[in-house]
Amino acid sequence: MGVLKSFVELIRGLGIAGKHLGRHAITIQYPEEKWTMPEKSRGIVVLLSDKETGELNCTACQLCMRACPTAAIDIDAPRGEDKKRYLARFEVDHMLCCFCGLCVEACNFCAIEMSTEYEFSTLNKSDLIWDKDKLQEMGRNVDYVDTRKKKEPKTPPEADAATKPAEAKPDVAPASTGDVNPETKAAEAKDATSTDTPSGDTGKEEDK
Amino acid sequence: MGDLRTEEFVVNMGPVHPSTHGVCRLMLTMNGEQIVDAEPVIGYLHRAIEKICENRTYPQCIPMMDRFEYVTAMSTNELFCLATERLAEVEVPERAEYIRVIMLELNRIASHLIFYGTTAMDCGALTPFLWGLRERELIIDLFEETCGQRLTYNYFRIGGVANDLPIDFVPKCRSALDVIEGKMSDYTGILNNNPIWLARLKGIGTAEADHALAWGVTGPVLRACGVAHDLRKDDPYSIYDRFDFEVPIAQEGDCYARYLVRLEEIRQSIKIVRQALDGLPEGETRTKIKANFKPPAGEIYTRIENSRGEMGIYIQSNGDKKPLRVKLRGGSYNQLQFLPEIVRGKGYLIADLVAIFATFDVILPEVDR
Repeated sequence: MGVLKSFVELIRGLGIAGKHLGRHAITIQYPEEKWTMPEKSRGIVVLLSDKETGELNCTACQLCMRACPTAAIDIDAPRGEDKKRYLARFEVDHMLCCFCGLCVEACNFCAIEMSTEYEFSTLNKSDLIWDKDKLQEMGRNVDYVDTRKKKEPKTPPEADAATKPAEAKPDVAPASTGDVNPETKAAEAKDATSTDTPSGDTGKEEDK
Repeated sequence: MGDLRTEEFVVNMGPVHPSTHGVCRLMLTMNGEQIVDAEPVIGYLHRAIEKICENRTYPQCIPMMDRFEYVTAMSTNELFCLATERLAEVEVPERAEYIRVIMLELNRIASHLIFYGTTAMDCGALTPFLWGLRERELIIDLFEETCGQRLTYNYFRIGGVANDLPIDFVPKCRSALDVIEGKMSDYTGILNNNPIWLARLKGIGTAEADHALAWGVTGPVLRACGVAHDLRKDDPYSIYDRFDFEVPIAQEGDCYARYLVRLEEIRQSIKIVRQALDGLPEGETRTKIKANFKPPAGEIYTRIENSRGEMGIYIQSNGDKKPLRVKLRGGSYNQLQFLPEIVRGKGYLIADLVAIFATFDVILPEVDR
């Protein structure tokens, strides 16, 4: 009796599994066919350029560097002859990047974005550290809504804020979002090396 | 012939073994084919997440929490944000609370679908694994459209959620729930009466309620012993007290009871998500906090109900922008600790141990942290 019942149950199970026969496949042939990534998908970090001038939107404020939990972003922003900061070096280490998107949230100038691109494996580890030019090149395909532009008419004396990044900082930042408080600006004024120390330590920790 | 003798010997199961769901080493003392004792050796997946959090600002800790328990990363997000919000007394907007509950329960369904698939696979049935992961994919796609990632979401923020739901989220979510609910009859139909499945799970790994409570076991493992302990009911956090759902329990305490409890929990979670979608209000999704967020000095312990039991966090703050001390508690840790108690001296085979381990639904990142 028991054997017969077991047999019936096994056949019933096969019947349920059999219902799924002949259904269309849910997998895709990856290298040939590609999945369309959702708009919000967080892929590699890129730098955005101004749609008209083609210059980088970045104002070298280093907010993204401080927001990064893994110290993947490295910025050199020395002061030029006119005492304004300019972007000398901007590197993203994609080996450290954890794709959390906090840098994009921190940015007030539409300068950094996560593209939907996910294929960037290389044979050489050092190729994963991307410099300013490569990040800008990758960012050219990324479409974005320029929220920064709308703010500009409010600050008439600095219509060319995008091309002169350092100049725009004191005026545009409080106008764009309410949450940039004096403390942030005070931190910005600090020496770059002193703010770098805590996150730099943890970066080393993870290397080991 | 007089020289023949028998002795116990030790078998190492793991650290890399497909049925240990991560890297766990079990040192099994064997008497022939029967297990005399089992000793878990942990720490292979230790990443010092608690220590890393001490070097990060509060918002920076949330991506680290994703790595604490990556099968239900939404619940770890909720855990940290809830604790910090209670510490700093940050209000969460109504819509954000609803979005959080939707995400948490969808994540619980996804986690239980993985449980369903992997447990069946550990017991030799491959079809349920493919089915479980296929339906989980629907939920993961919803998450990807909402927050941009499939596993490490980093979606909750202190004071709300990172961004609002996409426009077509509600209809998509409803249809995904309908699909999963429709498949439930297939899930139970293929396994519940299957003679091999019953022989592998029924009467195996029986736990007593008192014994489990004494070892701090929580979640579905405890509920399968007949204790209706669920933090969503007993110590409601977020807005769980507004929803109508049941806490499924079973009396037997064996592997089969744990399996039934988890499947029933999927149904209850579907019920909660439907109610939350119906009641989803319009409005803000995030309370702005200061860019340089510093909670007041103090300490807090917060706990939530994860798909693996009570998950807790202890945060000590000295008023700085970084936490002074973070301690995490995962349900899996206690369950792994409880495993030798279940196995010891019962004469189970290694195949039975695999079934017990699978139905405990231990995942090792939560144990090692």
